[in-house]
Amino acid sequence: MIFEDIYKAYWLKIFRLCMGYMNDRDSAKDLAQETFITVWQKLPDFRNESSIGTWVFRIASNHCLRQIEKQNRMPKTQLPAEIEDVIHHGNEDKMEFLYKCISELPESERIIISLELEDLKQAEIADITGISESNVRVKIHRIKEKLTKKFNNYEQ
Amino acid sequence: MNNNIDLKGLWNKQEADIPDTKELFEKINAYKKRSFGKIIFTNTLLILTSAFIIFIWYYYQPEMISSKLGIVLIILAMAIFVFVLNQTLPLLTKVDFDLDIRESLIQLFRYREKQIFLQTTMLNIYFILLSAGICLYMFEYALKMTFLLAAISYFTTLMWIAFNWFYLRPRQIKKQRAKTDELIIKLEMLNRQISENE
Repeated sequence: MIFEDIYKAYWLKIFRLCMGYMNDRDSAKDLAQETFITVWQKLPDFRNESSIGTWVFRIASNHCLRQIEKQNRMPKTQLPAEIEDVIHHGNEDKMEFLYKCISELPESERIIISLELEDLKQAEIADITGISESNVRVKIHRIKEKLTKKFNNYEQ
Repeated sequence: MNNNIDLKGLWNKQEADIPDTKELFEKINAYKKRSFGKIIFTNTLLILTSAFIIFIWYYYQPEMISSKLGIVLIILAMAIFVFVLNQTLPLLTKVDFDLDIRESLIQLFRYREKQIFLQTTMLNIYFILLSAGICLYMFEYALKMTFLLAAISYFTTLMWIAFNWFYLRPRQIKKQRAKTDELIIKLEMLNRQISENE
């Protein structure tokens, strides 16, 4: 498979995954680029054991998680989530609100929900994260509940 | 309570231009140059220092076995230092990004532990070899000095070594540990998130 084709087919998807993780366009772009650098380096070794999509998403997810090495002391997840909700009433676009909410979830949940919203099958998400399929289902359900709750608070 | 929020619809509203692949390949090249440069730098440093010490051996022609042994120990100390550095640097970038998240976390853990071990052990070996090397090397020249001068030379050198051993070394180790410990705590947190048993 030609690199340029993969790049064109997956750039936006990977960018969105990174946006969900970082909620910052510049960082997301950097992360997406790092992902494609790895894709470019590893493509000759790609063995078709999984679909190319799953493979690219795996690389991206690992790049996202590796951010913990670069980020500063205070993880976002330690912020009290409930207070955050109240502050952000107003004109904020719903799409932006969604990305903001996702970026405030625990790291692994950010990746799982982003993959789900990107329309990946639960089996693929299980393959990317190393979590069992049934557990993926449970986690997705819980994360969606959390997000819905936040949205309802936001819209009130 | 509205349970029918179209999360996927909202998610897909995020748009971005696809950057030109040219930009990406520029980054790839810069990255290649950088990692290559690092390896060249440390190894040149080793070769130059060793060459300098060998030059001392050749030029001053030490006669006693202690001086020669001292020189060998000093070179060995530096060789080990650079060797381990060459081993640990790639560890950080070598993680297989196409493993699943759980596996790559495990790999990251192993690398970090290995890194801590290498760093502390290496630092200790480096100091011991270097100190022993310097003391041995000095012996021949100290014999030629007056007793007072020899005592002063040894005292100053030993003080300097002690300062390094008791102050600089623990500080360096503590600094490295603080960095890796923090990371390991975060990794453990991630691992808990991923783990099945909730």
